[in-house]
Parts: sequence; C-alpha cells; structure tokens
Amino acid sequence: MTNWGSVFLRLFLLGMGGLVIGALYDRPLAGLLIATTAALAWHLAWLYRLDKWLHGKKMEVLPEGSGIWPRVFARIDFLRNRGRRRGRRFKLLLKQLRQATRTFPDAGVILNDRNEIVVFNRAARELLGLKKRDRGLRIENLLRDPAFVAYLRRDDVAAPVEIASPMNSDQWLSCHAVPYGFDQKMLLVRDVTDRRKLEEMRRDFVANASHELRTPLTVIAGYLDALADDKTLDAELKQPVAEMQTQTTRMRQLVDELLRLSELETERAVSKPAAVNIRAVLETARQEVLALPDGPRQVDIVVDSDSDLIGNVRDIQSVVSNLASNAARYTPAEGRITMRWWTDADGAYLSVADTGKGIAKEHLPRLCERFYRVEDGRERVGGRGTGLGLAIVKHALTRHGARLKIESELGKGSVFTCIFPAASIVAIA
Amino acid sequence: MESEIFGQHISRKFNEELERLRSQVSNMGGLVEMQLTQAIEAIVSADSNLGLEVAKRDVEVNRFEVKIDEECGRILATRAPAAADLRLVVAVIKAITDLERIGDEAQRIGILAARLAGEAQQTQRHDELKTLAEHVLEMVHDALDAFSRLDAEDALRVVEEDKLVDEEYDMISRQCISMMMEDPHTIRRFMDISWVARALERIGDHAKNISEYVIYLVKGKDVRHIEIEELRERVEAKRP
Repeated sequence: MTNWGSVFLRLFLLGMGGLVIGALYDRPLAGLLIATTAALAWHLAWLYRLDKWLHGKKMEVLPEGSGIWPRVFARIDFLRNRGRRRGRRFKLLLKQLRQATRTFPDAGVILNDRNEIVVFNRAARELLGLKKRDRGLRIENLLRDPAFVAYLRRDDVAAPVEIASPMNSDQWLSCHAVPYGFDQKMLLVRDVTDRRKLEEMRRDFVANASHELRTPLTVIAGYLDALADDKTLDAELKQPVAEMQTQTTRMRQLVDELLRLSELETERAVSKPAAVNIRAVLETARQEVLALPDGPRQVDIVVDSDSDLIGNVRDIQSVVSNLASNAARYTPAEGRITMRWWTDADGAYLSVADTGKGIAKEHLPRLCERFYRVEDGRERVGGRGTGLGLAIVKHALTRHGARLKIESELGKGSVFTCIFPAASIVAIA
Repeated sequence: MESEIFGQHISRKFNEELERLRSQVSNMGGLVEMQLTQAIEAIVSADSNLGLEVAKRDVEVNRFEVKIDEECGRILATRAPAAADLRLVVAVIKAITDLERIGDEAQRIGILAARLAGEAQQTQRHDELKTLAEHVLEMVHDALDAFSRLDAEDALRVVEEDKLVDEEYDMISRQCISMMMEDPHTIRRFMDISWVARALERIGDHAKNISEYVIYLVKGKDVRHIEIEELRERVEAKRP
C-alpha cells in the first residue's frame, strides 16, 4: 500500500505548504483552510467522475496515473468485466441446460417443500397440461388423482405411482418424486401407456387362450376316462392311457390356475371381503397334505391369536393350500410342516415352515415368477407342481394389502410368511 | 400459492389456512373425479363389481364435505374474513355442495351400472353415453382446474360447454324413447340408460355451478341466472 502512504504524504505537504504561505501573510490557519479545501475539491471532482461512470457514462479510456483514484477505477472496471463474463457464461450454460431439459421426453417438475410448482420442462406441459402461470400453485390442486395425492403425502416415495393423464384419460403416466436438495422434490413423469397396453394384451391373451384350451381338454379327458374303463383295451395300451390321463389332469390344473391368475390380476379389490376362519382353512390344508401319498406325515398347526382375518375366503384358501402343497412337495415323508397363525399390534402373520431341502439364496427373488423353477433336480418325480402356485399366492396377497416373506436355509428348510396389515384383523365373533 | 388476489396477510397462518382450504377442495374434487371416471367405466365395460364399489365409496365424498364445511365455519368464526377471503370461503362452501351432489350422481350411475351389467347384452356398447360422459368429465375437470388456477376465462368456457351437454342429453333421451317404442321389452333397460344420461346432465349443471363460483370468486360478481352474452361481458370487464 505504498500508494496510500503517498496520498497522506501529499495531503500533509499540501497542508504544510498552505500553512507556510499563510504564515507569510500572517494568516497560517486561513492558508491551511484554503489548501485543504482545494484537496477536498480535487477529490470531489474524482468522485463526481466515478459516480457518472458508474451510472452509465461511457469512458473511452480509463484515467491513468499513480494516484489512488485511477487505481479505484481500474479495480472497479476489472470486477465489472469479470462479472459480465461470468453472467454471460451462466446465461449460456442455463440456455444449454434449458434446451437439454426441453428435449427430455419425460416430464420433470420441481416442487418445493409445500409441493408448490417451482419450474417444469416442456414435456410437463404436454403430459400434465401445466401452464406457465401455474408456477407457485400446489401440484395436488392440478393433479388431483387421489392415488397421486396419497403418494405425495407418503414418506416412502421409492415406488412410482401410476395415474391416468389429466389431459387424456387413455394415457397412463408413471409418477416418481425424487427428493433432492433442501426440502425440494423433483417429480419425474413418464408415459407408460404402451407398457400398460402390452400388459393388458398379455393378460387378455393368457385369459382367452386358457379359456379356449379348456373345452378341447375336457373332451380329451372324457374319452380317456372312457378308454381307461374299457375292459377290452389292449394290455399294452393301459400304461400309455394312464399316463395320458395324468398329463391331461395336469394340463387342466395348469389351465385353471392360469385362469385364476388372470382373474386375480384384473380384479382391483378384494371381492366379497368377510371374516375368514383361519383355523378351518389351516385344518383343510393339513388334511390335504396328509392325503398326499408321499408327503410328510407330520403336520402341525400352531395358533397364537384370538383373531380372524378379513378377506376373500377363496383367496386365503388358495394361498394356504398352495404354500402347504409347495412345502409338502419339497419335504420328505419323515419331515415336518408347521403352519402358524399369530397377530400382534402391527398386523397378522400366517406362516408355513417346512424341514425340507431349502432354497438357495439366488433363487429367492425370482421364486414368485410364473413357471420359475429351482433347477437342481431336487423335485421328486411325480410331485411336479404347475409352477404357478407362488405367483397366485403373491397376487392374492397383494390384493389383500399383504406381502410374502421367504426365509430359507439350504438343508434346513424354508419358512414362507404372509404378513397382513393390522387393518385386516378382526376378533373372532 | 400466495396469489395476488389473496395478498399477504398479516397473519401467515391465516394464509396457510386459506391455502389448505383450497387444497382440500381440490382433493375432494380429485376423489369425485375418480368416482365419476370409475362409474363411467363400470357402465362402458359392464362391470357390476366396479359399479357397486363406486356406490359404496360415496360415503368418503360425504365425509370430505362435512370436514371442509367445518373448516369453513371455523375460519368464518375465528378469522372473520373480508373481501376476497370471504368470497373464497363462501365459494368453497357452495362448491363442495355441488361436488357432493356430483358424488351422489356418480353413486347413482354406479348402481345403475351394476343393474345394467346384470341384464346386458354384450353387443350393447353404450357409445352414445360414452361421448356424453367424456364431455361431462372434461367439464368437471376443467371447472376444478379453473378453481385451482382462479381463472375466470377458463370457468366461462365451462359454463358455455353446458349447453352442448344439454343438447347431447336431449339427443340420447329422444333415442331412448324411439328404441322403447320399437320394442317394449327394452323399456326397462332404456329407462336405466336415460337415468344415467340424466345423471350425467345433472353433473354438467353442477360443474357449471362450480365455474360460476370461480367467476364470482375472481371477479366479485354474481353471475348466476344470467344469459351467456351478459356473462361474457362481465367476465371480460376489468375488475372494479
């Protein structure tokens, strides 16, 4: 800061000069006053130029010199230019970003902590029908679908929700709110109409195909029954006919389960909900297992609750019987199956545990897929299921707001637990 | 949103209360829209389960009305709102009555859908009802949008739509009458269909009412029971 030293020095010299000249005229203070006033006027003149310059007056060349004022000018000019450069850069960046979001096929809406719309891209205008002036409006005032509103209020927003588009009820949108920053949310909306249409087509196809297969199967089964009863049938044909009968039965079972599955998929809510007598359901399943020719001989029922379940009797029955027959299929005759039913404050639990071979970890996530099979030849001959049992269980449970938990240890056995929400418990009447 | 016509209040909490009130009306509207959509779907796809489901869910709509009504009463009693705030509360009280009625009509359609599905010939597609229903659904949707956006012009468009809905209703009832005259066996069936059409037409009227409350709310003018032309003039006029 050598500059500032010279500023003070100059001021001091000026003051001293004024004092000395004043002293010559016998008025030293007046001399000092004139000198300081002159200095003040000089600085004011610079300040005036600075003010004019800052308020828009163009200056071709910046003032040069060694004084403090040119330094100030140079610095301000530098800061100004830097700011302008940065501004231009940000503007460009923002423009590029805007163009990028505009071409984005999915709608994006940024919401603040009160779910008010902050900004959105072009796709949001088309998919959600948002208008420019909607900024600041609460999103739930415009996207009023109760499923969406409930989704926004939920804490867990990981699984996206699917709603019909407010613009076009034939269009389906998948909405996913991703929290980010401080209390903000990015709402990502994607058009999933095609996927839903495909799903619908698959469902319809499976349902129609199974339905159409039923009639010819009935005819074949009828003739086979007649053939099997025929006393005059060649001895060497007996075995093939018996095999054909078993396979036809299996095929009919398959078709029935496919139909049941597509029924479960299309119905939205539990039909005819009523209190289900769990004890009776478990006892039926127990009898079914014991009736199997080579199933486990020991089947226990443990009930630790004085409540029943609200649901569809047929659904719950098929859940229990599927789980029980699965367990029986993989458990040797000397093994044991335990079926439990218990409730607590959080919900109700229905579990089927076996002492069979268990399932390797890598198969667990895919176990409920249709026709998924654990391929290690551990199934006993003749005990093949349709491969649809667990898929039916899963769909039936989903409809009851319940979920399936699978625990298994190789060599020790498996436990399948259905977890029902507390709302579906009812005290035994 | 702190929109300009409900400017900043000294009490931030009051602002939030009014905002919440508007959101609640939208939520109730969303429920009613869903009810109506599903009732129509029940008719078109002859799904009696869905129809009964809709009918049963009407209690939720009624519960919503009671809740919002209480909230309005509380605001009136504790905040003594004036001017635009008062208009908002009054408009909400009126709008929820119409929403609740729309819910009732949806319930009625649901029950009729269950009955029609029971006796349906698969060939009957109810195409004429579908057009009317889509039209009415759009009116309800636009009326609620106008309420959310406080947009008098959009509301005015809904009011104008109502005429078309009335014409479509007339057409359907004429069609029903001629079908009934042709074959008396179908009378019961076409009576039901004309009841559905009637319910849809009523819903259109309720949507129109809601739009009129929006105009009242935004412009501060009562626009009920006047001709469309005059109404348009009033909407387009500058605010006093």
